[in-house]
Amino acid sequence: MSGKLLIGKVLLLLVMLLALVGGPALLGCTGVNTIPRGWSGGVIADDTIFLGSMEGKLVAIDVSSQERRWPDVPFEAPKKATGFGCAPDAGGVAIYGSPSLTEELVYIAAYHGKLYAINSETGALRWVYPREGELEPIVGGPVSVLGKVYIGSSDGKLYALDAATGDKGWEFETGGKIWSTPSVNGDTVYIGSFDKKLYALDTVDGRKKWEFATEGAIVATPLVYDDTVYIGSFDRYLYALSEADGSLRWKFQAENWFWGRPLADGGVIYTASVDGRVYAFNAGNGDKIAEFNLGSPVSSSPVLFEGSVMVASQAGRIYAVNSGQQKKQLVDLEEEIYASLVASGGVVYVHTDKDVLYAVDTRSGAIRWSLSLESE
Amino acid sequence: MVGEIWNLIILSPMINILIVVSGYLLHNFGLAIIALTIIVRVVTLPLTTKQLRATKAMQEMQPKLAELQKKHGKDKAKLAQEQMRMYKESGVSPAGCMLPMLVQMPIWIALFQSIIRVLATKPEDFLNLSQHLYSSWSQVFFLVPLNSQFLWLDLSIPDRFLMLPILVGGTMWLQQKMVMPTTSADPKQQAQSRMMLWMMPLMFAFLTMQFPAGLALYWVISNVITIVIQYYMVGGWGGLMPAGAQKPVGRDKKYITHITRVEEKPVDFADVGADIGADVGADIARKAAPSLRMFKRQAKKNKGHRPKRK
Repeated sequence: MSGKLLIGKVLLLLVMLLALVGGPALLGCTGVNTIPRGWSGGVIADDTIFLGSMEGKLVAIDVSSQERRWPDVPFEAPKKATGFGCAPDAGGVAIYGSPSLTEELVYIAAYHGKLYAINSETGALRWVYPREGELEPIVGGPVSVLGKVYIGSSDGKLYALDAATGDKGWEFETGGKIWSTPSVNGDTVYIGSFDKKLYALDTVDGRKKWEFATEGAIVATPLVYDDTVYIGSFDRYLYALSEADGSLRWKFQAENWFWGRPLADGGVIYTASVDGRVYAFNAGNGDKIAEFNLGSPVSSSPVLFEGSVMVASQAGRIYAVNSGQQKKQLVDLEEEIYASLVASGGVVYVHTDKDVLYAVDTRSGAIRWSLSLESE
Repeated sequence: MVGEIWNLIILSPMINILIVVSGYLLHNFGLAIIALTIIVRVVTLPLTTKQLRATKAMQEMQPKLAELQKKHGKDKAKLAQEQMRMYKESGVSPAGCMLPMLVQMPIWIALFQSIIRVLATKPEDFLNLSQHLYSSWSQVFFLVPLNSQFLWLDLSIPDRFLMLPILVGGTMWLQQKMVMPTTSADPKQQAQSRMMLWMMPLMFAFLTMQFPAGLALYWVISNVITIVIQYYMVGGWGGLMPAGAQKPVGRDKKYITHITRVEEKPVDFADVGADIGADVGADIARKAAPSLRMFKRQAKKNKGHRPKRK
């Protein structure tokens, strides 16, 4: 065989290899099945914002001085065999859910299946759950109410822990992964599951009060407002359910999934979808009041401030909308946004995919300051 | 821009079809991967057939090409000219082997990518997947996330029992061995072929240990289909059988006339001998004569009947 033909054959094999492996790696695996990065939103108390960085650390920042309150608290993921390309679970600490606060402790859950309770004054670790080993990946955030902390895991269980010690009170098992952040109202905790159901559980013992089956997985966080539970599903419906028995009051179909948490203000329910729209409804009868097309998917939970709903699109634009059909673009950060927003004192805080925390003026949209959360 | 067009016309349709197919197959994503791989290979069968025929014809021309190499090995320009002339006369070209494969590649890549995307495991994967779903196909919203359990496998993670890497490597070896020439005049080429025969399966087996089992399943099924196609197209087990045990197989109709014409054309072995020595030239002529007679008999036989097309 001539040298040219031989080279041709080798090239052919290389092209095949490139097509089957390199091609997908370049075209298919980019941003898909790669290392989980996380998108923690923040929580604010006493001029301090607590949030998880994309390096997997709990960060506490004084919003007045933009100084760290204490050194970032790192978390360590267990060592796992790592692959490359499209291999899943290639390691790293990721934090998706926003932290939760009590007077003394801040609770933060990491994707590698651990829930941490940190002293909010000093940054010292108080307790960790589970003490040994890990749960399945945790995507939703913890919620601390009346001496208990609730957290859901991909093992399909909702855990109720003692807020002070981390001891397990009870657990409730659903039929699918839990990525949803729980909501608590009175003596009921609500949680959605990949098994397509929303559960209402007794906070005392985890007893199921009722369940509501949708036709899609649920990762959104429920909202309880005026005796009604609002929950969005992967079946593209936003459901309004009776808080008492879970019966359906009304539902609305969007063009794509609901991911974030709805909001309520003055008898109006606001919700955003990954179809790129924000919807406003009459809370009582479900009549659509307004619809805003943001032109980019919305997966972060919006926040309410002085009658306006601040909402961020994945493309990095932040808008203020209201039930009066008004939409105003506050700012274009030109960085992707997945994390839930938090607002305080005329400022909305946004954590972008570049691991930068922005403080944006809710009226003018001016960036008051920004701070990289990466370690120096 | 290119990415958007790719997503719009190739990737998104494949993703939605894959999800819907899984819905019809007992919500079993493993069966959906197998079904869609078969569908894609059936749809691209004409291209595969074309490629295999061209490759086979190329292989049959190798003795002639080797002669040219010996004859004009020192004069590269002349050699290239003669090779081109032979390709032209026979109707075979190296591009004929490559082109059908290149045309199929986007489809294979799309299937490969769609499997990766539908096997979403992390929140980022899900949000990415959501942008590919057709809002007019309500079914896809009810089906995601898909059940990733199939037999002993979790399709979203590598096979812990290492069965798939073995299957991927084994089927790939078989597939390559079938089309590998059993005899070659060039020992260098033989060594290269032998190296490739082992290198590719080992490489893919190693990759399979790193990639989600769903992709490995796709590779195994795709390899098995290729083996079946090759069995019928190339003629039995090809290179898997010892050279003497291989049955002479019918040639592709498209190339019969051309190749036969090339074969029947008088070969100036004396001229070959001029380059490499008269004795050697005569020896080559003696050795080549039976095979030439066999080719001619075969060509004559094939003229009388239409080769089977699968």
